[in-house]
Amino acid sequence: MLEINDLHVTVQDKNILKGLSLTVPAGEVHAIMGPNGAGKSTTSYTLAGREGYEVTSGAIKFRGEDIVNLPPEERAAKGMFLAFQSPIEIPGVTNMNFLKTAVNSQARMRGEKEPSAVEFLKMVRDAAKKLNVSEEMLRRPLNVGFSGGEKKRNEVLQMTLLKPSLAVLDETDSGLDIDALRLVAEGVNALRGPDTSFLVITHYQRLLDYIEPDVVHILAGGRIVKSGDKTLARQLEDQGYDAVIGKAA
Amino acid sequence: MGEIISIDHLLRAATALQTDTAPWAGTLREQGREKFAALGIPNRWQESWKYSDLSQALAGVPAGTAVSRTLPCLDGAYVAFFENGVLDISRSALPDDYLVPLTDVLADSGSPFAGTIGRINGTEQKNHPILGLNTARMEQGFVLRVPKGETLSPPLHVRVNWTMDGAESLDGRHIRLLVELEEGAEATILETHGGTPGFATVVTELRLAQSAKLTHIRIDQLGGDARQSAVTLGELAGTAQYKGFYLSEGAYFCRHEALFELNGEDANVEIDGAFLVTGNSHCDNTTIITHAAPHTTSRQAFRGVLSGASKSAYQGCVKVRPDAQKTSAYQMSRALLLSKDARIATKPELEIFADDVKCSHGATAGELDGEALFFLRARGIPEEEARAMLVEAFLQEALDTIERPDLREVASGAVRDWLAVHATEVIHAG
Repeated sequence: MLEINDLHVTVQDKNILKGLSLTVPAGEVHAIMGPNGAGKSTTSYTLAGREGYEVTSGAIKFRGEDIVNLPPEERAAKGMFLAFQSPIEIPGVTNMNFLKTAVNSQARMRGEKEPSAVEFLKMVRDAAKKLNVSEEMLRRPLNVGFSGGEKKRNEVLQMTLLKPSLAVLDETDSGLDIDALRLVAEGVNALRGPDTSFLVITHYQRLLDYIEPDVVHILAGGRIVKSGDKTLARQLEDQGYDAVIGKAA
Repeated sequence: MGEIISIDHLLRAATALQTDTAPWAGTLREQGREKFAALGIPNRWQESWKYSDLSQALAGVPAGTAVSRTLPCLDGAYVAFFENGVLDISRSALPDDYLVPLTDVLADSGSPFAGTIGRINGTEQKNHPILGLNTARMEQGFVLRVPKGETLSPPLHVRVNWTMDGAESLDGRHIRLLVELEEGAEATILETHGGTPGFATVVTELRLAQSAKLTHIRIDQLGGDARQSAVTLGELAGTAQYKGFYLSEGAYFCRHEALFELNGEDANVEIDGAFLVTGNSHCDNTTIITHAAPHTTSRQAFRGVLSGASKSAYQGCVKVRPDAQKTSAYQMSRALLLSKDARIATKPELEIFADDVKCSHGATAGELDGEALFFLRARGIPEEEARAMLVEAFLQEALDTIERPDLREVASGAVRDWLAVHATEVIHAG
């Protein structure tokens, strides 16, 4: 699904990723953990194609295709989804209108038929109900006045409607209480399947209690320094980054 | 074309539209002539006209040809239809009980409006060159009076359209409107301006008596070569309310001034506005709100979308007279700069002579939010569409202040129309 090979990325002339390599097969959930400044957010923004994140060498293959030179919207249409750490508020665009525009744009780019107004409404209502997203939240401007939990639930709602094949969750657990975290995790787990992969980027092990990873990677200094199964996350939580990374080095 | 337009030229150019007038009207015109002759054609060396040099705009520029465009229409409304400065009764649906054409008023030596026309917010009229010119040469227009306690229903749509080439009206056409709302009266007025006048002035005088309420939407959708200087003057008695929304696309020269005086306690003026300018267009929104009584409130909020090499100005002045304690005034200007060559001058001014007041102002100017743009694109919305969405969203917040759905739709339609016509400039900004 995703193959990252010896990736070097600079942001404002500063080298952040220095030889990141990572493979996420179809249907698997991989977690990237790492201390502050390790390059976690840079990894997620680079995957989504944000301007200013310059790939100086290395490759990102997504479903067999090199996507380094693709704009964000084309990556999205190919099935890449980034759940934002801080979802953006956009006054003046209703949540509903945004969701419809996104779903239709992706369908158009993939050469598929756009869902009819009735089909779309049913899709949204069904997904919103499961995620406890109210009608009022759908009518409001995108993320404006939403609590931290509401914003994250709204991200999972977008993910559910857009049906990505790879979802990158960037510190989705930040700012969530335990109930909100459980709801978000349930939404993510509902999307798990043989054709869907997840890359869960997090600072803490807590989220991984709810979204169980197949592989855990430790990112430090701009590259993966250690990989293991889910027990690695527990070990990090118990011993701290220094002890574990120290062992790896 | 090519010749310099002089004060004399503008004052002397008599048109067939200017009919014989009653003695009081003749005196009024004479005062206007004297005022304009003394003040001259406004130019950039005058503080208030720094960003809008009418003298230069009128000097030797090619007058554009007429443009045809579908202009907004308000279903079921009364209509006062002006074509090339003439009130066309056959294409109007006038509220006959309330409205008298200006020509009739000026021909009536005993007109009850003799003491009102040219007198609203007299302080601001005193040294105003456009008021002088318009008073000297006002040709057509109307007086609308809504009696005590009554509501003008349906709303009135004042449609001003120019189908002649600009060159034919380069010597000036001048429209004058007067609206009087008596105690407790209410009205909703939509004013739309389209076409390419070579040079037009529009003066709208508004008098709101105790507890009267006026909703006023102005839309300027002039052709790119049009030259227009418009002034709205208002006077509000106690608890009267004025709610205005001004939408402008700019033009070769496009200025609108809103000059209001709040004379009674708890009077309230709220003005929201949006301007969308591109190419070489010019757009000037100038306001002077004078709080002359205690407990009066005002609010002004303008949003501008600026592209191409357009030049805009927002000058917002709030004056608080010495006895106008406990007043509150707010002004805000936000500009979205879509090109490196677009310019906006923002000048808030406060003249406060009372000590217990709440006045605030702010201004921002910036590009489209890069993070929001990335967010939309990361959800699969192509860059061009995402940019258009963000520009619309920016304007939507202004449009949402219009309470009546039908009026909001008229203004939103005008915005959508502009965005569609100028999609290239909006999307390929740089």
